[in-house]
Amino acid sequence: MKTMPWSAAILGIIIACAPAAAFAEGTLPLKHPHITMDKKTLQEGAEVFVNICMGCHSAKFMTYGDLMHYPEIGMTRKQVDAIRGSKPLIDGMTTALTAADAKMSFGKVPPDLSVITLSRRGPDYVYSILTGFKHDPSGRIPDGHYNAYFPGNNIAMPDPLAWFNHDPKDTKKIEEQARSVSSFLAFIAEPHQIKRRLLGRYVIAFLVLLTVVLWLLKREVWKDIEH
Amino acid sequence: MIERMLNTPLAQWIDERSGVVGMIRKHLIEYPTPKNLNYMWNFGSLAMLVLALQILSGIFLAMFYKPSAMVTEGGYTMAFDSVQRIMRDVDYGWLIRYIHAVGASAFFFLIYMHFARGLYYGSYKKPRELLWIVGVIILLTMQATAFFGYLLPWGQMSYWGATVITNLFGSVPIVGHFILELLRGGFSISDPTLNRFFSLHYLFPMILVAIVVFHLHALHVVHSNNPTGVEPSEKGVVPFHPYYTVKDLFGVGVFLIAFCYFVFFNPTGWGFMLEPDNFSPASSFTTPAHIAPLWYLTPWYSILRAFPDKLVGIIAMALSMLLLFFIPWLDRGRVRSARYRPMYRQMVILFFVSVLVLGYCGHVELTQTLRLIVRIATAVYFGFFLFLPFVTKHEKTRPLPQDV
Repeated sequence: MKTMPWSAAILGIIIACAPAAAFAEGTLPLKHPHITMDKKTLQEGAEVFVNICMGCHSAKFMTYGDLMHYPEIGMTRKQVDAIRGSKPLIDGMTTALTAADAKMSFGKVPPDLSVITLSRRGPDYVYSILTGFKHDPSGRIPDGHYNAYFPGNNIAMPDPLAWFNHDPKDTKKIEEQARSVSSFLAFIAEPHQIKRRLLGRYVIAFLVLLTVVLWLLKREVWKDIEH
Repeated sequence: MIERMLNTPLAQWIDERSGVVGMIRKHLIEYPTPKNLNYMWNFGSLAMLVLALQILSGIFLAMFYKPSAMVTEGGYTMAFDSVQRIMRDVDYGWLIRYIHAVGASAFFFLIYMHFARGLYYGSYKKPRELLWIVGVIILLTMQATAFFGYLLPWGQMSYWGATVITNLFGSVPIVGHFILELLRGGFSISDPTLNRFFSLHYLFPMILVAIVVFHLHALHVVHSNNPTGVEPSEKGVVPFHPYYTVKDLFGVGVFLIAFCYFVFFNPTGWGFMLEPDNFSPASSFTTPAHIAPLWYLTPWYSILRAFPDKLVGIIAMALSMLLLFFIPWLDRGRVRSARYRPMYRQMVILFFVSVLVLGYCGHVELTQTLRLIVRIATAVYFGFFLFLPFVTKHEKTRPLPQDV
């Protein structure tokens, strides 16, 4: 281990410089709400998504039928029927707003939200954006388009939950909406994630047991060998 | 039990007509292996396991994947959609895909550890030069395979990563444009590119298997090196079975625990194994804010970026890989293991550090300070090869043990 100081010094320099260099950009650190994926939250999130987000955004990989079929959301046929209107169950949850109209109104086509929590910085990012509309301190970006958490701060999406200048007594309600829809989006980005983590526990537990047995076997086989 | 199986009439019948039982006996049971191998010698067998996992999971993914850049609703494509259908609608499709995605990173991790072991203990020295060269060819084949595979989900990183890398070939003088169009099947990354990359991504693993078989065959001719680097006597070896079958199996257990942690609990590997940008559909109109290759290619990408001139960078990057082939001859010392070579030990550890530093810097946006660090690390990287012949020629080594 005599050589370590050399290499350790270089590693030390890198570790000291790197984080400061990597996160030089000026957006705020995200808010960290307590995101849960229980049935109640997911259903509330689905409501918010359908009533507000789907005005402009789609989630095409998620079908209306999925709202019943994934037990984690577990909506009833009645609830789904109320949401889907005349659309078939096997249709993706897509917005009625056409790309051309969106471009005319907002200057760009709103992204599909099916995997948005994976393609951005997770549900915390969605939550922070939804509750991040403020008055631009420099006064350049018009109110309703200045977002403290959006890279570059100038967001095309107009404040969907009406967070900017909201009545303080509504704070709880809006935060709850933002939290549930963030949870819903995180869920639909990977609808098998709860099953995955559950299965993972059994897999790891089995592997740990197996590895212990293999280690004992190895020790037994090698006990007479000097090495 | 194995002995009994190998003595059944059926086994005898097969053996008389193929010699298979004799081969099993020679290569999997009696094969003499140094008794002092440490756990660094587990990575080869683990890499083979992951190669098998990758091929198996890949076969199943290919049953559902559609290599088509045809645009679908929402700015997605058939390719992107089919990956999402695998994740959502195919039974345990998510598991198969995550095994494949995490497997790619695991494969590179294991191979890099395998390389590091070979470098540290001098496993490339006579008579194992060819073994080493074949190993470097395996690494290059893996990198090509991974590069082809990364285009297939047709996300933003797939698209722009492929654009950047194919552009590199376009900078080659005279034949550059020809290679560029041959790779892309057109003037930009598009549907024909996706189709040929899919085809090549299926072809290259088959080539890889063939090369790995050759690697193993050559290994069984020259036999394993060991931590002392001294050729073992008859007393220094043990039969492969049961000693190393059980030790390798224990290694498999430890590896699978780590592997399954990622598959089940952290499939994106903190954004290092599946990058966030690759969940956005590929678009030729918007460039991601920051294009970086996956972590296992970043050291070489860093060397490329270390030079202001593009062509010089490309030459340096190619050289950094090519130089690996010559290590058996650049190292002129007679002693193998770094344990008994104080100077070489310093050098090789510094070399490992330079690769780690380059790897880190290849993943982040470069600032003024980082650019300087990249240049220093690049200098250290090439310095290793430059000084190797001189240092090793006159190196004062420690006394070697008589036997392992």
